[in-house]
Amino acid sequence: MDELRKGFHQQLDDVRTELVRLAASVIEAIPRATAVILNGDLDGADALIQFDDEIDSLSLELEERCYQILALQAPVAGDLRQVVSVVKMIAEIERSADLAVNICKAARRIYGHELDPRLRGLIARMGEQAEQLWESALESFEENDAAKAAAIDDMDSYLDSLQREFVQAILESHSENSIDLQVAIQLAVVARFYERIGDHAVNIGERVRYLVTGWLPEHKGAARFRQKSGDDDTDGIPFITPKES
Amino acid sequence: MWWLIVGIVSGIAVGFFIRDRTRTPQISHVPVVAAEEVVPDSDSEEEIKVLLDALPMGVVVLLPDGQERFRNTVAMSIAGARHADVLVEAAAERLLVLALRGLESREQIHLAGPPQRVIEVRAIPLTDGGAIAIMDDVTERWRIDQVRTDFVANVSHELKTPIGAISVLAETIEGETDDELVLRLTGRMVIEAQRMSRTIDDLLELSRIELGGEMLTVDIDMAEVAAEAVERVSPIAMRKGVPVLLTSEKGIGMVSGDFFQLVSAVANLVENAVKYSDQTHQVDVRVITTDDTVSVEVEDRGIGIPADSIDRIFERFYRVDRARNRATGGTGLGLSIVRHVATNHGGEVNVRSREGEGSTFILQIPRVLRSV
Repeated sequence: MDELRKGFHQQLDDVRTELVRLAASVIEAIPRATAVILNGDLDGADALIQFDDEIDSLSLELEERCYQILALQAPVAGDLRQVVSVVKMIAEIERSADLAVNICKAARRIYGHELDPRLRGLIARMGEQAEQLWESALESFEENDAAKAAAIDDMDSYLDSLQREFVQAILESHSENSIDLQVAIQLAVVARFYERIGDHAVNIGERVRYLVTGWLPEHKGAARFRQKSGDDDTDGIPFITPKES
Repeated sequence: MWWLIVGIVSGIAVGFFIRDRTRTPQISHVPVVAAEEVVPDSDSEEEIKVLLDALPMGVVVLLPDGQERFRNTVAMSIAGARHADVLVEAAAERLLVLALRGLESREQIHLAGPPQRVIEVRAIPLTDGGAIAIMDDVTERWRIDQVRTDFVANVSHELKTPIGAISVLAETIEGETDDELVLRLTGRMVIEAQRMSRTIDDLLELSRIELGGEMLTVDIDMAEVAAEAVERVSPIAMRKGVPVLLTSEKGIGMVSGDFFQLVSAVANLVENAVKYSDQTHQVDVRVITTDDTVSVEVEDRGIGIPADSIDRIFERFYRVDRARNRATGGTGLGLSIVRHVATNHGGEVNVRSREGEGSTFILQIPRVLRSV
């Protein structure tokens, strides 16, 4: 028997493919932003800032397609989770591209300042780890792999610790007078950008888990809150299959 | 049909070696060459698929209606990372759409890495109305182009800068009567002349090693090589206050080769380690043997090497420091010499490094059993 609603499922597949491509473009932007800040590459910074406009445009276009599917196809159950999750993920991807741009803007602000090799090494590591997180997020989405998606949170701890190590190194460099205060502030902000890029990958991972299992980490907190307030009604959470995987 | 596809792919493979290297994406109308119609049976079609699967480049074939007819293994994973494969796939799809409309097009995708990679995607219309996309990893060709371009700039900089400086200094001295100033300028001239002399010495040594004609092949104890190299660098290490610790056991790591070349290579590595370290960090030199090889590892905890330069440090005159700071006083040829010595001895030199954490260079030479 032919598959029912073939066109609709083709639309869903297309949306997934487009999301993967959007994410791939943003993952590529991470090492580019790292190269910009390490090499003081102003042309590279400019290219990445312009590229963000393209990401914004593609994000809007994809979001629009999701709304069309919601409005015209009235998806349910797993299909509904798919579309809603893609909408959420677009925001995570788009925001990560903005953060890569922010790294480039910080690179322009500190242009001409030599960076200590230790700080350069840590920037390279943060960039690699952020890229690694996103690579895992992309793979977990493509493969619908909830276990891989769950591991991203733990991988993020390493990025967080690198950020702390980096801030410590900045403070040490500043106390040794080997770094200008303005540069130190910009670098601390750059570390925060990498850390936030990692957080967005974690969010993608959580959405993948939701796609596969219907469960989100926030469900735990929500259940606690309802228990405290004596409200056991779970009707407020429409798509839940509420067993933690 | 399959014979036509094989013909196109082979043509492209040959074409890659002889074609001009157009860098920008381009679209052009292509005269589709009519092939002699050969109708293969299903066995030969399977055979051709196996052949296409064995190609080192990605191949995707579309039917006239845009449905995928064939995709070889390389086409599924060519770029080394999932996101990069997705980008290559997206480019192939874009170009295939054009090819289905009868237009040939080509695009190069530069992936940031590290290591950086360049994938060329090309889509060609087929006579039956279908299309074929070829994805080729052209990183090595791109890298050689970069090396060639940079080499010309670097070599002229290295050779012209001291000559230019000497010429300007000489002109200034010519009309100068202030003895103190003349003394200072002649001092600068001597420094520039010495730098020039070092560069020429290294170039001569490099070409001598490259020719390999004078190499004396005798059994050599790598522990003695390492000890001699450390001894040679010790004045510089003492002046800088960098401790160098040699760990080796005599007589267990024998290799066949030229003692002086090997000492020169190891000394280059130790000298670099000392140059890029400070007094608080020790340089370790270790001689390690395995069943087949003897390695000399030189480890420092100095400034390290940026990831995007690691592949390039063995090039002649390449400098990590793009501003070409003279503080370290090198000629830019030391590591090229090391690589040539390693190659001459059937070995290799590798490096592990993290910026800000230090570097470890490993010179690995095939081991020989000691003749008693």
